[in-house]
Amino acid sequence: MLPGDFQPSRPTNKQLIKWGILSLVSLFFVAVVVGVLMFVISAWLGKPLSVFGYDEGPDQPIAFPHTRHVQELGLDCTFCHRNVETGAAATIPPVGLCMTCHAVAGDGLAEVEKLREVAAAGEAIDWVRVHRVPDFVRFNHSAHIIFFSEQDNILSSEVCAVCHGDVGSMVKVEQARYLKMADCVNCHRDNNAPTDCVTCHY
Amino acid sequence: MAELKQTQQRQWGMVIDLDKCTGCQACVVACQSENNIPINEEAHYNQRRAIQWIRVERYWEGEFPDIKARFMPVLCQHCDNAPCEPVCPVYATYHNTEGLNVQVYNRCVGTRFCANNCPYHARFFNFWEPAWPNSLKNQLNPDVTVRSRGIMEKCTFCVQRIARVKRKAKNEGETVNDGDRALSPACVNACPTETLFFGDFKDPNSTVAKMKDKETHGGRGYHLLEEIGTDTNVVYLKKVDKHAEAKEEVHA
Amino acid sequence: MAGGGAGAAVLFQACGVPEHELFVESSNEIPEDLVSGLDNWYATICRQCSSTEGIVVRVMEGRAKKIEGNVDFPINEGAHSVRCDAGVQALYHPDRIAAPLVRVGERGSGRWEEISWTDAMERVALQLRNLSNANRAVMVTPPMRSYSGLVADRFMARFGGQYLRYEPLETTNVRRAVKQVFGQDRMPDFDLGNSSFVLSFGADFLNTWMSPVRYGRGYGRFRQGDRERGTMIHVDSRFSMTGANADEIVFIKPGQEGILALSIASVIIDEGLGNASAVSALTNGGRIDMSRFAPDRVASAVGVDAARIRDIAHQFAEHGTALAIGGGSAAAHTNGYFNMVAIYSLNYLVGSVGREGGVNFNPASPLKDIPTGASFSQWRQLVTRMRSREVGVLMVKGADPMYALPGSIGFREASFDVPFIFSFSNSLDDTTAMADLVLPEHNYLEDWDIVDPDPGPGYQSVGFQQPVVRPFFESRGQHLGTKGFADALMGIAGELELDLGLPSTFRELLQDGARTLFNLNRGSVRASDFRAFWNGALQRGGWWDTGARGGNRPTPPALPANVGQAPSFDGNGTFNLIPFASTSLMEGQTADLPWLQATPDPVSTATWRTWVEINIKVADDMDIREGDVVRITSGFGGPDVEPGEGVLALAYPHPGVPPDVVCVPLGQGRRGSGRYAKGRGGNIMSILSPGADRETGALAWASTRVRIEKTGDWVRLPKAENTNPDLATDEGQHIVKITPKDS
Repeated sequence: MLPGDFQPSRPTNKQLIKWGILSLVSLFFVAVVVGVLMFVISAWLGKPLSVFGYDEGPDQPIAFPHTRHVQELGLDCTFCHRNVETGAAATIPPVGLCMTCHAVAGDGLAEVEKLREVAAAGEAIDWVRVHRVPDFVRFNHSAHIIFFSEQDNILSSEVCAVCHGDVGSMVKVEQARYLKMADCVNCHRDNNAPTDCVTCHY
Repeated sequence: MAELKQTQQRQWGMVIDLDKCTGCQACVVACQSENNIPINEEAHYNQRRAIQWIRVERYWEGEFPDIKARFMPVLCQHCDNAPCEPVCPVYATYHNTEGLNVQVYNRCVGTRFCANNCPYHARFFNFWEPAWPNSLKNQLNPDVTVRSRGIMEKCTFCVQRIARVKRKAKNEGETVNDGDRALSPACVNACPTETLFFGDFKDPNSTVAKMKDKETHGGRGYHLLEEIGTDTNVVYLKKVDKHAEAKEEVHA
Repeated sequence: MAGGGAGAAVLFQACGVPEHELFVESSNEIPEDLVSGLDNWYATICRQCSSTEGIVVRVMEGRAKKIEGNVDFPINEGAHSVRCDAGVQALYHPDRIAAPLVRVGERGSGRWEEISWTDAMERVALQLRNLSNANRAVMVTPPMRSYSGLVADRFMARFGGQYLRYEPLETTNVRRAVKQVFGQDRMPDFDLGNSSFVLSFGADFLNTWMSPVRYGRGYGRFRQGDRERGTMIHVDSRFSMTGANADEIVFIKPGQEGILALSIASVIIDEGLGNASAVSALTNGGRIDMSRFAPDRVASAVGVDAARIRDIAHQFAEHGTALAIGGGSAAAHTNGYFNMVAIYSLNYLVGSVGREGGVNFNPASPLKDIPTGASFSQWRQLVTRMRSREVGVLMVKGADPMYALPGSIGFREASFDVPFIFSFSNSLDDTTAMADLVLPEHNYLEDWDIVDPDPGPGYQSVGFQQPVVRPFFESRGQHLGTKGFADALMGIAGELELDLGLPSTFRELLQDGARTLFNLNRGSVRASDFRAFWNGALQRGGWWDTGARGGNRPTPPALPANVGQAPSFDGNGTFNLIPFASTSLMEGQTADLPWLQATPDPVSTATWRTWVEINIKVADDMDIREGDVVRITSGFGGPDVEPGEGVLALAYPHPGVPPDVVCVPLGQGRRGSGRYAKGRGGNIMSILSPGADRETGALAWASTRVRIEKTGDWVRLPKAENTNPDLATDEGQHIVKITPKDS
């Protein structure tokens, strides 16, 4: 054998098994890391992947079924979210509004009893927030509702679905759209709305 | 820039009459109150890091007993040829379609190049996380972002007021009126002597456009540091002093 | 109200996830101002300083966000001062007192315990009931021309105690001179906007004196209005902000302002430039010899050239409408009253009284009940009474005599001889810190009142103050938290079974006042029924009638025989000390608000500290640089300040100070205060000489002579000047451009 001449020796079976296990383990770790990254990146760019229930909405202190109120009873969105046509926030209804019906309606239902307890104590319900934009974003509900309802000649309550999805069919409210800046900007472009930064950021 | 100016619908601007300014500081505090500017502590002044979007500069002139003090409010001039804009690596400061020089807080990475390049020293850097005692936070204006540490900030001509008025006008199918106090920046509304005027230079019937037209053609109007060609949107009107006859313009 | 605090929390979190942010409720059950994103502007009256300015307050989610001027209100026409804006910081101050406090440690030790309102009121009533003689009760408030002033007035009158009104930089001399010259109980209005020439003496009227925002409004029109640009000459012994804005500033030896005014008068009389009937009346038909005030005779005494005096006299007499205003340090000498009489008499010589652009009298208020009486200058008697234990209960509201009375009067020390002190206050100040019981009052943005502006706008006007937010400490329940001053006092009267001769609640009293205005059926608010009137007046922030103007006094009374006396000074030094009210902190009332601490002084641009202005050349000779800590001593002091110890201040040499003068702002050096003012700077009032005006007894706060010594320490003076580098200019280009001609 000449000096410097490289002649790999045939690995022993023991070595082969060791390497096989090592590569399998590394492959597994890489897969885990990639999986986590995909999850995080997708959540960063859009919504979390639909695994382990991360795409679902949060549990609320009172399991309020939109399906019952909207689909079955036919309530309009603006019946409860009263400020949506006039102000920046759509606003969550106060307990008092719930009690206008639930003082009599829904006897025996566990969630309604919870509501009545809260009302009797004069407290507010600590709802968990589902939709959130960062605090350097100035989102105004009224501007969007008025624009779409005029453009498409539809009712205010039909505009909500553009961003929020069909809340009426959700048992547990979840975020339907990405609501990332790209999502906002694309929609603004499509509808010829201003894309100047100070439209939303000031 | 010139092309952009042609297509602009509005051009917000200000006229400042130096003959009326008394230096009373009402504009300074009004701005602090409206725009969630952090409290300027003693150490901030000492480190020359106090934030005042509008400030009143005082210049001495002469010797005792022939001594004069001249006051001049200085704020972001919203230059059409803004030296701060081209140096921003992340496009966090730019000129918008209404003639405003805009600072986008969420884009800013804090290089401070813009502040370096601003000849008017109208840009301020947040060297600290802004801090208020909890109860004072009740006062903060919910329409204005609280800038965190590492962010550049400056006068916005109270863009939140402009946005509010424009939105209201649009929702109610009305037009934005010149001289509407809801539209004017906080400093303009505060000024006891009506030194400051705010409006749209593009609207030929606005107070500021008329004043600019009248005063920059042989009148008292001038732009601050005109010679560097920043093409500002703030017009200053010269201080009148009949004793200044001997020397046409006094260096202050 | 739950929605308010939590809703607002959403918006000021720069980082981090706020909790409980969805307490926001909808508009059907909560007031509309609680709905996120909607704002309302409510009109009320600013009570931060003594001038009455109408304001509108932006309220969102139940919280006051921004204060701006009320465009309709006649005093300020939409503008406001630095102090007004900081009212929201007073409302949300972190050191506000949230419940009645009773002292547990030594007096002044600062240890307190919260008690309930019921308990507190009982304690006050007990102390008052146990007095052997009703006149052993003393109440001290600032001059309050309002219905809460009426309640205080009535309470002390019916109870039988002594009621003193206190203001740190007394305006007694000005008011007495106004009474003497114009025959008026109220300050007249100065129509600067329509005037063509203003001659002012000592009054820093664009900055802090009387009604600066109103004067600022007029000044704007005076400079660039519809008429020809006016000319302003300011006579002063210091370089004030108002002086900086004058066309000419005339430096005068302190206290000689009256002589200069008489000298100007003598020129006008001598050369026949003035109104003949006024000349005759003023000189008592020529019996008062004015020739002794001829410019040549007085020039050296006043420190102004004879030729210049003549020039001023000519300008004053030959401009269309000229106005003479005096006050500030010119009124704060031992001859202050005579200075003021001489200065205000000048207005008659040029026929400026009762005409456009001149001095316009304010009519009496349509609300006859509002107290106008003033009883200043009785501090020495009070201290004597306190020392001899004749004062059993001292009640203080909104006044801080322990801070601002000269230390040599010894008020603070004498207060140890008073068995019981209680204070209505919503924050700690020097006097409240010495109290045995503190009753926290509402902030003015939480309280009702009806205010009579003084000085008024030249016609009848009334300001309506209404709560724009619910009391901040409401959540603490009815036994703790704050209460309105008038309500609390009426409650104490109830405990004592004292009949005030007023309706049972303060709100009813205010409605009675409003009903008086409603029945007049004139002015800015008229309505078919009272409810509409009440709402209309609250919406507009007040009621005024531009037609109801003050009278006139066509000829002046003769000058008093001893007019023209020289001032006298006291103290161990060579510099005349001229204290002045700070632009933002005034006389210390607003010292605890951080925005105002951080507001630069217009002339020195200094902030946060006590500084002493000294002539730059004199400082050079004394080897004093900016930031040198200097000791100011006068030989006077109190029990707390040893005469030799004096007051420490940072030197600020500037070219505008006369060589023999040093000027120090008020406001700092508080011993009892919240976090932003406590232990900051020095209190120059503590070393003032107790000199008083010879005629009126008012404190001559500009008559102290002081010595300046370097201590060898140096502290950087926090100031706005040079915080930003100089603007870079090409040669021949200028920053502030000046033109001789008015286009």
